[in-house]
Amino acid sequence: MMATGSSEMPDHRKRNTFTSYVAPIPGDSRATMDTNEWCLPSDLRDVHLAKPRLLAGEQIVASAPAYMYSPIAPMDSGSGSGSANPSQSNGYNSNNQSSSSSSSNSSRASTFGLLSVTNFKLAFVPLHTRGLTPSAAASDLYQENVYLGRNEITLNNIDQIYTVAELGRAASALQAARMTGSSSRRKKLEPTRQHINGRIAALHIVCKNFRLLKFAFQQQDLKLSGASDYGKLIASALVRFAYPTRHDLSFAYAHNEPYYSTLNSSGVCMFASKNDWTRELIRCGASEWQVISATSVPQLQNRLQAGKYTLPPHFVIPKSCDVERFLQLSLAFCDSRAAFWVYSYGNSAASLVRLAELQPASQQDSKMENIMLELVRKCDERKQLRLLHLTDELPSVQDVQRAHRKLQRLCTPESPAQFMLQDDKFLALLDKTNWLMYVSLCLRQANVAASTLRANISCVLQESNGRDLCCVISSLTQLLLDPHFRTIDGFQSLVQKDWVALEHPFQRRLAHVYTCNSEQSPCSEQSPVFLLFLDCVWQLTQQFPDEFEFTQTYLTTLWDACFMPIFDTFQFDSQAQRARAVNDCKLVLRPVWDWSEQFCDKDKLFFTNPLYQRQRSDYAAALHNQRRSVAVTGQKLAKPTSATSSSASPASRYTINPQLFATQTTVPQDRYLQPAHRIFDLAVWQQCYYRWLPVLDIRGGGQPQLELCQRLLLSNIAKMQRCLELQSLDDLPDAYYEAVGEPRPYINHNQQQQQQQHEEEIAEYVDGVERRRKSMPCANSSSAAAANGLSAALQLSSLSSFFPFGSPIAGDAPHELYDILSTSSELLLDTSSILDKSSIM
Amino acid sequence: METGANIADKLASKTASSNSLDSSSKSSSLGSKQENGVLRDTPFAYLDGEEDQDQKNDVTYVCPYRGPVFGALTITNYRLYFRSLPLRDQDPPVVVDVPLGVIARVEKIGGATSRGENSYGIEIFCKDMRNLRFAHKQQNHSRRTVFEKLQANAFPLSYSGKLFAFAHASAAVQSSAASATVSASWDGWAVYEPLAELRRLGVPNDMWRATKLNESYGICDSYPAVWAVPKAASDDFLRRVAQFRSRCRLPVLSWMNPRTQATITRCSQPLVGVSGKRNADDETYLSYIMEANAQSDKLTIMDARPSANAIANKAKGGGYESEDAYKNVEINFLDIHNIHVMRESLRKVKEACYPTTDDSKWQTAIDSTLWLKHIRCILAGAVRIVDKVETMSTSVVVHCSDGWDRTAQLTALSMLLLDPHYRTVRGFEVLIEKEWLSFGHKFQQRIGHGDNKHSDADRSPVFLQFIDSVWQVSQQFTHAFEFNEHFLITIVDHLYSCRFGTFLCNTEAERVAEDLKHKTISLWTHINSSLDQYLNPLFPSFTRGAEPVLRPCASVRIVRLWKGLYCRWNPGLCAPQHGCQRTRELLSKQDQLFKHVNELRLKLTNRSSNMQTTTRLASPMH
Repeated sequence: MMATGSSEMPDHRKRNTFTSYVAPIPGDSRATMDTNEWCLPSDLRDVHLAKPRLLAGEQIVASAPAYMYSPIAPMDSGSGSGSANPSQSNGYNSNNQSSSSSSSNSSRASTFGLLSVTNFKLAFVPLHTRGLTPSAAASDLYQENVYLGRNEITLNNIDQIYTVAELGRAASALQAARMTGSSSRRKKLEPTRQHINGRIAALHIVCKNFRLLKFAFQQQDLKLSGASDYGKLIASALVRFAYPTRHDLSFAYAHNEPYYSTLNSSGVCMFASKNDWTRELIRCGASEWQVISATSVPQLQNRLQAGKYTLPPHFVIPKSCDVERFLQLSLAFCDSRAAFWVYSYGNSAASLVRLAELQPASQQDSKMENIMLELVRKCDERKQLRLLHLTDELPSVQDVQRAHRKLQRLCTPESPAQFMLQDDKFLALLDKTNWLMYVSLCLRQANVAASTLRANISCVLQESNGRDLCCVISSLTQLLLDPHFRTIDGFQSLVQKDWVALEHPFQRRLAHVYTCNSEQSPCSEQSPVFLLFLDCVWQLTQQFPDEFEFTQTYLTTLWDACFMPIFDTFQFDSQAQRARAVNDCKLVLRPVWDWSEQFCDKDKLFFTNPLYQRQRSDYAAALHNQRRSVAVTGQKLAKPTSATSSSASPASRYTINPQLFATQTTVPQDRYLQPAHRIFDLAVWQQCYYRWLPVLDIRGGGQPQLELCQRLLLSNIAKMQRCLELQSLDDLPDAYYEAVGEPRPYINHNQQQQQQQHEEEIAEYVDGVERRRKSMPCANSSSAAAANGLSAALQLSSLSSFFPFGSPIAGDAPHELYDILSTSSELLLDTSSILDKSSIM
Repeated sequence: METGANIADKLASKTASSNSLDSSSKSSSLGSKQENGVLRDTPFAYLDGEEDQDQKNDVTYVCPYRGPVFGALTITNYRLYFRSLPLRDQDPPVVVDVPLGVIARVEKIGGATSRGENSYGIEIFCKDMRNLRFAHKQQNHSRRTVFEKLQANAFPLSYSGKLFAFAHASAAVQSSAASATVSASWDGWAVYEPLAELRRLGVPNDMWRATKLNESYGICDSYPAVWAVPKAASDDFLRRVAQFRSRCRLPVLSWMNPRTQATITRCSQPLVGVSGKRNADDETYLSYIMEANAQSDKLTIMDARPSANAIANKAKGGGYESEDAYKNVEINFLDIHNIHVMRESLRKVKEACYPTTDDSKWQTAIDSTLWLKHIRCILAGAVRIVDKVETMSTSVVVHCSDGWDRTAQLTALSMLLLDPHYRTVRGFEVLIEKEWLSFGHKFQQRIGHGDNKHSDADRSPVFLQFIDSVWQVSQQFTHAFEFNEHFLITIVDHLYSCRFGTFLCNTEAERVAEDLKHKTISLWTHINSSLDQYLNPLFPSFTRGAEPVLRPCASVRIVRLWKGLYCRWNPGLCAPQHGCQRTRELLSKQDQLFKHVNELRLKLTNRSSNMQTTTRLASPMH
């Protein structure tokens, strides 16, 4: 691999012909580049070859040669302290050992290349002088975003920027950068600052998803005095573009590529129409509630009147209450959020309802609240109701943000020294963040709400504006109760329902728009409430490994997707705001759920949990019975499928009359979860929070490796089932030969040829990284293994423990992994249960 | 399988499931003891050689989770057994079943004048992180005999008795002579054969030889009889080198990479002293070790101690190798603290975990024990050794002060990381036999078997820490170990139980003198005879997939407290089971398909051979 890499220099013409990911780029970017003439020292000659790929509407704002260096690797070994292990010299760093300068220690972790700021992203394109990444083929398996390269982040993702001042002429930029850990020369760059003083030797960029990027800038020779200060160039570009003050400055508006949805075939319910809500009412058997669409309410169409309300386009209210009365009542509540139905459970359809608190002005008089609660109570079959004051039980939005900031500090140590310092008292520091305590509190409240509903009592969640922690608790409660929401489609529908349709203020909470308020501290509205929810869900997936169709990789990817401005799902505070953006600015809406837009099939395969069973047979239910956290006392047998809900197509135009449907719920009542919620039982979401720290990578270990084993098992089963079906022995898994103790029979010539073709496939270069054209692997890719004899037959690749996020390891065999992936997913996507009672006993 | 519906349920099943001590492959005399009392309708299974010592029917166990429960207490020469009287039929009884070897200390609480409920009785402090409190009625005078019997049977060595292991084995010999069940392949005493293990590593070879110089334990009484040493060193030379090492524990081979010849050798500190004495033989000997590895012209010495401690040891005549005196030697300090620090740390872990945990302060409490930090240092040290041996192909010499505590932790752990063989059940047994038992980790002193000096400064959880480190690695590389968590917990339980001879005595010499091989049963015999429950379902099919060399992450961010061991007595804290069930289902499905495929192959070959015979039958016509 090394050899092929070094012989082929990345060539930009080749790069521009590369079209497998994105549509051809209109208007070659070279034009932009040419205007930015370089005065290059001799060793920087090739920098212009390393050019970022640009999307439609994307423009380069500034570019400069820079060194990117790994956040805290390598650890300095040799000191007396037997500290975090120095051997973790991961593939990423060692790849670059040969590049750049010869002073081994400082250059080991750094890569030289071109750093560019565009109106969409911060892109670093490494310039490999010698020896491309030896693991280029393996890198295929690590997650690749169509819109972002491995060394690129969206400007949206940037949380804080720190500048490191130059330490005088003598010190090299890298030295300066390395010394910043101890020195106090690291300074936060305030978004308001338009002018930057002094030279900048290095930039540290802390991302909202805890990624930490560090760049050092080459110090310039005196003869190049004409060129501007590279560091300052990048820093000022970032300050201007990373903190937009209006949402319409976001790249989403510039990127006006048309979108052709492939979502229609999937079962994601967008809750964007009256029918979507009606269907949900029917699914839950909630007969006492009605859907109201804002368009059908004259009051909300009247411009003068509508201003008083901030209501979503569709909402569900008690049938016993007419719309006028409801609107009148809702004025008393914050954000005009009077009781909205979200879910019903059980035969008596106990309801889960979200409610805001009374407006501060009307707080003395709780009459309105009482009337509202009385209306909700009347909807309950047994006229029972429990009110959960989330404000008293849960952290405030600001608390969540504070916890998140502290957690961020723990996950983005600026230097090895700080890493070790934190490590020494890590648990105490973690405790002080309160993050896990908040996760614990959310799980506990959700558990309370779920058991209330299970006891056939309606539950009202009340929170100041009903749009933050209400979303967390309400969606968690539904996850605990309803197996449908534990599928990928179901989960997406749930987020769409509880977060998007009922308007969690994503824009403010994720700080998509920089609001500088002189009185308040900047971005006081910022708070990753959604991440808190995802963390809770992750804890559930850990406690119930076979109950969720999605993996932690899916959840982590979802969090990353929050910072992709191209997808509108997490970009707006309200539906009205979204509608305005579409009408006034011609924004193209692209739901994030259309994952094919961002990822290729291989990446999407890692979203499905190999342990999940789409259908649970009676035998499995019996096993279930014995499990600690789940008590099965369902009076009613589970309906065989949740197909009723997933078949509901959001595109249907016909109005559904709920009267025509049976009012019984179709939600199975014996598959609820009872999670452990003590801090004692919780863990840190390593994949999401630690993935940017290479020192914490367990090579060939951790959950991904286990998952790979499980996928291999599924793949073996699938292959053998196919063999039995076709009555042929051509494609038996290696495990079979291993089990019977025979060498694998000789593979026929045809397949070997195919294999060879594969190897000769021309490598393409993008971003200076070799990428192989995606193609489905040939049927049998283990000819090499067979040649080596039995011993190599089951040699699995070792993955990063942050897979598919960590950095690739050299010497992997990705084709074998493709094979496992594709065959195992056959089973995962197959709805017919492969493990029915008879096959096990 | 436990249903886990209520706490009471869990308590009963928890005691059964997490306490490996109950599982007994052989049970004897179930009915014969019943005449002693009416409450003994379902007594525990008596072990071979186990005999009743005392029995009280009116004792209250002050359970920290369920409150006081009234019941019957039995003391045998092996265990303390309490079973509550069932108050209601549906409530399962509370059972406490503790081997007396686990008991560290027994104390009387309250006097004749004590008032208040359950204030008069005894409190038992255990080595396995729990305390037990029993309340007696003053008027019954039942406490005295219980206390005395406990003392005498829990601390037989302090009362001129013998450990239960001996009685157990002699009774087992009698019963097994009749049934003849003990198969030779199970015999735990035969698991480790020093010369065979050396042969597996490729010794003897051009550079290393095996020697029985210490066969009578004359040169070093805490070393095994068989050593592997550089060929260049003669027997006389070895004798001289031994003089310069603390307690004559000279560098001897622990492990060798068969491919690169890079080695791990272990020893004790050199007797350098304040004056900085030098010894030409010792210096030459280390150069022999270095030269035995052609891959590297350096030798790395890993001193397990913090450098301050190593320097302080000079005052006591010890110290460390100076890089000036020893040519091409590089010395590293691994910052692992001494046995006293570790003992104190574990005491704090117990405080945080038993009887209950405070969830709001849980993380801070664990942090302040520093236990995870110590585990991290051991892991990091082992990873550094692995890095030297594997990545740099440099030979490593490991020592601490005496070379039997931290050194054993480091060598055993790094061997486990380097060599997949040690990650199998048999291999792990060999590893413990070799690095811990034969090289003289002082189990008797560190654990204090049958000894009532509970505050003995020599006691320390060094071996427990090693098992904890192994658990940490097994958590990071779930598929790389043949054994499961239960196997490790079983080892820890029998470390204290005194039922088996494996962990008795301090050195191989003592074990030979006591003839443990014939007078006691090995723990490995017990484990190997019921192997199934100790196996990791993920292992067998992925053996080849396992990394040959493991490099665990040594950071407190990754290292976790072993709740399954330290918090197992609290029924409310049982850790959720990670979905092994589904994997097991898939594995059995796979096995089943193997069979179906076999049938298919058979059918297809039959068919084709049938066709061949038909053609052959037809051919002679031509």
